[in-house]
Amino acid sequence: MSGRTITLVAIGTLIAGTLVAESRKEYHFNVGSKAGISVNNPYGSISVKPSTGNTVVINAVLHSDKVEVDNTQSGNHVEIQSHLLPGADAVSGRVDYEILVPADASVTLHSTTGPLRAEKLHGDMTLEGAGATVEIRDVSDAHVHVKTVNGPVTLTNVQDGHIEVDSLSGEVTLNQVDGPLVQVISTSGKINYTGDFGSSGEYRLTSHSGDIEAIVPDGTSADVSARSVKGEVHDDVPLQPKTHTWFAIQEGRAFMGTMGRAAVSSTVVLRSFSGKIHLRKRAAK
Amino acid sequence: MNCVELQNSLAEIEDGSSAEQQDHLKTCPQCSALVGDLKLIASAAAKLRGADEPSPRVWNSIEIALRQEGLVHPPRAGRSLIPSLGSRWAWARWMAPAAAALLFAVGLYVRQNSISVQRAGNEGSAAVSEQPVSDLAIAGLNDDDLLQEIAHETPAIKTQYEDDLHRVNEYIQDAKGIVAANPNDEEARRSLMEAYQEKAMLFELAMDRSLP
Repeated sequence: MSGRTITLVAIGTLIAGTLVAESRKEYHFNVGSKAGISVNNPYGSISVKPSTGNTVVINAVLHSDKVEVDNTQSGNHVEIQSHLLPGADAVSGRVDYEILVPADASVTLHSTTGPLRAEKLHGDMTLEGAGATVEIRDVSDAHVHVKTVNGPVTLTNVQDGHIEVDSLSGEVTLNQVDGPLVQVISTSGKINYTGDFGSSGEYRLTSHSGDIEAIVPDGTSADVSARSVKGEVHDDVPLQPKTHTWFAIQEGRAFMGTMGRAAVSSTVVLRSFSGKIHLRKRAAK
Repeated sequence: MNCVELQNSLAEIEDGSSAEQQDHLKTCPQCSALVGDLKLIASAAAKLRGADEPSPRVWNSIEIALRQEGLVHPPRAGRSLIPSLGSRWAWARWMAPAAAALLFAVGLYVRQNSISVQRAGNEGSAAVSEQPVSDLAIAGLNDDDLLQEIAHETPAIKTQYEDDLHRVNEYIQDAKGIVAANPNDEEARRSLMEAYQEKAMLFELAMDRSLP
């Protein structure tokens, strides 16, 4: 038997073994309105989309027989757990979930590796994972809590939300995100905000050493204060300066003022220790 | 009954309201919403599973920190503050008491720092410098513990966590420096709280990573 043949047989055996080990599971649960769904998946992705009716559908792809899916329903709460068996690691313990939930359900998703995705929901959501990439889009009227260590976080078209994002070193990007509270805390990750800061919310973007960039369209109204202890601060948007400020405005290190109409404005606080802060107007298309 | 009286009497609402309380709640949407929220929290708390408990190391660290602060005394023989083990959801819940202790300690730090600076202002050079609560006393957030937890991870992950730990410690030090320089700056205090919050999150997610 030639070397090439041996190699092909070995690869074939490997692929066959992988295919045999990979399995799919599907679970269905009937729930009421405002159900709670929790998924803890140490290794692998979780994607959540809206279902039709009051049904929770869990589709799980298990990558080996070293992991099981435990599921329990207690009243209106469904709990899913990837149960790692002895010897499981990040590869063999991986499970990828695609989940459908009623749009008003509250979801709690946890995966160390991720990615984590949620879209078109309007229930509260918590997404956590050390290295997980987090993507949330087309969400309204929800409390959204996200925590990552170094996973990047992207929120797109999240309306009327109560949003709290903590990412230690992952980049945080908010596109068209507004609500009564939008708060991002980062240690070294960059924070990007693109949008109009809503009409009456509190927006706090804080990073210790990461840069902060906010891009606003024409017609944006907001009371803005920006301060960087050691970094530079730039604003390309005309601001009506405040007559009374609660901190000393050091040129190039801080600014404070109102853009647009003060009567309908949100409060925006941009703060960094050593990162740059840049507030600029969105370029006309 | 007005709003203040109603809120002072909230503890008595648990098993049904008095006529006075009910009258006020009917006419005051704010208090009514507050009572509704409190009932929701109480009912949600009741649903927490008894088995959802932290690792013994966390309880132990909290216990040691509280003893060092003189807030608790050693338990009698045969009893321990350390609860049982074995919850698969422990990762999600054990940080609750740790976070509470952390926030308590940070609040204490900020307050002590503020008092210290105020005294310095009042007493000039004879100011008494109080020792702030050390980081080690804060809910067992000991750097060595974290490094031990991730010791079996791949070199890349270990390096990542070490870098993150270094960065968040810098954040805390810088935030402390700003609070010390501007003790009345609310934003500076908030920044310190946020820095500790970041460290708590790092511990929470790193410990979680090490669980499987």
